[in-house]
Amino acid sequence: MQDLYKNRYSVFIIAIIIVFSIFIVKIGSLQLGDNSYEEKAVNNALNKITLYPARSVIFDRNGKIIVKNYAIYDLYIFPKDFDQINTPFMCSVLEIDTAKFNTLFTDAILRSKKRQKNNAFNKSALFYSNLTIKQYTVIRENLFRLKGLFIEPRSDRSYEIVGGAHALGYLGEASESLLKTDAYYQPGDLVGITGIEKYYELWMRGVKGIKTVWQDRTYKERGLVKDDSFNFPAQSGPNVISTLDIELQKFAELLLSGKRGSVVAIEPNSGEVLAFVNKPDFNPNDLIGQNRGKSFRSMLIDPKKPLYNRAVKGVYPPGSTIKTVLALIGLQEGVIEPSSTYGCSGGYRMGSIVVGCHPHGGPLDVVGSIRISCNSYYCNLFRNIIDNPKYNDVKIGYAQLEKHWRSFGLGSPTGIDLLGESGGNIPTVGQLNRRHGDRWRSSMIVSLGIGQGEILLTPLQLANIAGILANRGYYISPHLVKNIEGVKDADWIRKYRTKHYTTIDKVHFETVVQGMSEVFKPGGTAWGTGITDIEICGKTGTAQNTHGKDHSLFIAFAPKDNPKIAIAVIIENGGFGATYAAPIANLLIERYLNPGKPSSKTAMETRMLTTVLEH
Amino acid sequence: MKKNSLRSSSGNNIDFWAFILYVFLLTIGFLNIYSVTSDVNQSTFHLSQIASRQLIWICGAGLIILTIIFANVVIIDYFSYYFYGLIIILNIAVLFLGHEVAGAKSWFGFGGFGIQPSEFAKVATAMALAKFLGTYGIKFRGWKNISIALAIFLFPMIIILIQNDTGSALVYLSFFLVVYREGMPGYFLIAAIWLGILGIISIIFQSYNISLGYLHGLFLGLGSILVYFSRKNRQIFLLVLIISIGSSLFSGVVGWAYGKLFKNYQKDRIEIVLGLKEDKRGMGYNLEQSKIAIGAGGLSGRGFTKGTQTKMGFVPEQHTDFIFCTIGEEWGFLGVFVFFSAFVSLMIRLIYLAERQSDSYGRVLGYSACCILFFHFFINIGMTIGLIPVIGIPLPFVSFGGSSLWGFTLLLFTFLRYDQIRKN
Repeated sequence: MQDLYKNRYSVFIIAIIIVFSIFIVKIGSLQLGDNSYEEKAVNNALNKITLYPARSVIFDRNGKIIVKNYAIYDLYIFPKDFDQINTPFMCSVLEIDTAKFNTLFTDAILRSKKRQKNNAFNKSALFYSNLTIKQYTVIRENLFRLKGLFIEPRSDRSYEIVGGAHALGYLGEASESLLKTDAYYQPGDLVGITGIEKYYELWMRGVKGIKTVWQDRTYKERGLVKDDSFNFPAQSGPNVISTLDIELQKFAELLLSGKRGSVVAIEPNSGEVLAFVNKPDFNPNDLIGQNRGKSFRSMLIDPKKPLYNRAVKGVYPPGSTIKTVLALIGLQEGVIEPSSTYGCSGGYRMGSIVVGCHPHGGPLDVVGSIRISCNSYYCNLFRNIIDNPKYNDVKIGYAQLEKHWRSFGLGSPTGIDLLGESGGNIPTVGQLNRRHGDRWRSSMIVSLGIGQGEILLTPLQLANIAGILANRGYYISPHLVKNIEGVKDADWIRKYRTKHYTTIDKVHFETVVQGMSEVFKPGGTAWGTGITDIEICGKTGTAQNTHGKDHSLFIAFAPKDNPKIAIAVIIENGGFGATYAAPIANLLIERYLNPGKPSSKTAMETRMLTTVLEH
Repeated sequence: MKKNSLRSSSGNNIDFWAFILYVFLLTIGFLNIYSVTSDVNQSTFHLSQIASRQLIWICGAGLIILTIIFANVVIIDYFSYYFYGLIIILNIAVLFLGHEVAGAKSWFGFGGFGIQPSEFAKVATAMALAKFLGTYGIKFRGWKNISIALAIFLFPMIIILIQNDTGSALVYLSFFLVVYREGMPGYFLIAAIWLGILGIISIIFQSYNISLGYLHGLFLGLGSILVYFSRKNRQIFLLVLIISIGSSLFSGVVGWAYGKLFKNYQKDRIEIVLGLKEDKRGMGYNLEQSKIAIGAGGLSGRGFTKGTQTKMGFVPEQHTDFIFCTIGEEWGFLGVFVFFSAFVSLMIRLIYLAERQSDSYGRVLGYSACCILFFHFFINIGMTIGLIPVIGIPLPFVSFGGSSLWGFTLLLFTFLRYDQIRKN
């Protein structure tokens, strides 16, 4: 049989070769011409899961745990893979409506995109943080059918002892600006917002770990990537030993309850803060878990300002407490001797200026002037200091005074390990020029001599003055962290070992200290508030307040020799320093020096505990 | 052929090169199925369930080969129509008795295994067509003979279309190539290609919502002018008339059918491949992932069992229709080249063997085997690299699956056996 179409076989050969060539060229361009595919493939199949470290546990100075952690569970989502069929179920479990769900979902997509910008492996994003136990259980049980969702543990704070809220601070979700500046953080991460939680954030946060897993298209884990460069365990934050004595702290909080004010107690020779109290304050337990945001917002608008850290941000005229410093400056400048006296006839008068004083007998020396808190004495002393013939110029004289004041850590932050500390105000010559015109005289600013006017100090600075008096001439910046385990060298360690000496010679202190020890004696301003077996040195203060009743102030340290505690107490609108501030300070000193023993002044203690001044 | 190979009672050998290439492709298939179904961190040899099943299918294929080789040769030729009839009946029966897999009602289930009769319909059709065209005195000439020949392969195609297995049905178009070798006029092919182009243009118009009236206008207008100039020559006149009216009608029908009959997902697939639609998440996701897999292979591949793209499920149907992605990802360009060369060599070898047949039966059988393999190769590889729409058909000898492996084995070895006993 003749085959007429034999030559047609070549058409087939040609067709095969054409197809072969087209395919080879196309595949060659995919495999050899474009390098991005391998990266895309790797990104597809790997997922980096963040392992959250436990945050530092915070201990008090005696080794009691104040703050530790507990596990919280966050719900993560692979937005691409979530099946909308599960939306109603998730809404009912999380007790939210569909609109809220969609908002969360959109947020998660944005987070996921943001995360992928940094690292393409990060496909998942936080969807809902802080599941309740019930939510956790229900979701966990149904996880197998909730495609695209998974749960990861993280830790949140748990307060073993409620106390020291303003010192310790609280956590919150990392802000947008922090996320922008520090790539370590991811949306939803908890970071220290205030207190030592904020100041020592870099140490306390620990180090996040990374787990890289193979993940198939359904986001099912298919095992760990066996390459050590992809996996790092999380490292817990090291233990933080705070300087607080939590028992003292709690007692101070108790004494201040129902009042508005601050207490700062310092161990003088180390600068360690023993108690750090503001009232009103907040319960740190309100700022954890699911209610964090809600409670925080209500605290922000609370007229009582529970978040306000008076001890470092509140500024008050120091009132008579400043007389201790002024006496020292007078002695240092040689304006007075310990035995120098100024007369007082019920007040200081100069032209139209009248500074009242309470009745007391005879001219007083330095010790007496402190015991009695004689206003005339200090108005005269103040004027003599700045009108010192040695300088022959009021401005030079004042600058000299200002220099001495500033050496006490006044007018600038003390350097405590809290952010946002105010430096108070010590008026400069320039400030006085602006206020009183270029040609002012000492008589125009005499109220500074009794701690009124432009001079403003924080409670912390007042406590620091008490510490300087206790140390007879130096201070170490007050601080709230004693030690972070394993940290041997850091700026803050060096900073909190440095002694700052005042411009006052040590010899001058004994006179003033003697005066302070006599305030509890009959006729002294704090008579009746002292503690029998403890030699306390104190100074009352009553700060005039344009907005209402005077503030009650007291600074003290004890014992007189080899002091263990220095303290400042301020009770807003508490009236005389002896009314509230002195009793509270003394009760705290007693509690600290005689731990575990009942107070010898039970009536005073009860009165302080039950007084309510806050309206 | 003097090479030693499977020696049978008749004295000649089964073609050595075709056999070796077959074994080679089967091995590639098994290795890639093994790889794609293994675990990521798996270090020791472990057969997945899928790989073990493929091993069983391969053993079954071995049995089929032995049966064919030791069968009485006359049977092949003699039983062609009966076999065809039986397979047609099975394919109709599956419409009523079978169950659905991936939307196609084309499977008989036996316990855990399934058999797809349509995979065997190809070999049956090839044998029936060979039998008919090999009958003494029958030529691909005259309406009657042409109609019978076309009916032999269009009938099973329609049944399989009814089974909703579009991919398998399209394979029967490859018989047009076979009958072209047997004398179908060349303009049939040219007309087919023209209609293909016209179809695509109509779809583009349709998906951009451009009125098909422009196309009608173009064809009829151009047609009228040409008709006017060719009015003297009756033959050309008629031809131009038919082409212009036919083209216009065809584009109208395609446009209408595309709008009304095609399902949305089918439209999506077509439009994505035609570049009318960008969609990296939905339908286009599979194609994108498939390209990533192949592209990730680079020159020398990511290594055996190291292809994350395929084994992690990013590429769909990674052990069946998209098995080529694994070759591309794990063996790279070099592997692809070797694989293509083997496949192309087998096809060209089949043409060579078909051409040396002394009768139409053997030649038609050989060309059928070659053209079916070619069509599968073209569609399967073409879809994985995005040159043609995603049409689910297996890559012969390589994709996982018993029915297709046995069907292709039967087709190939029926021909090789026939070739073995050819009269020189």
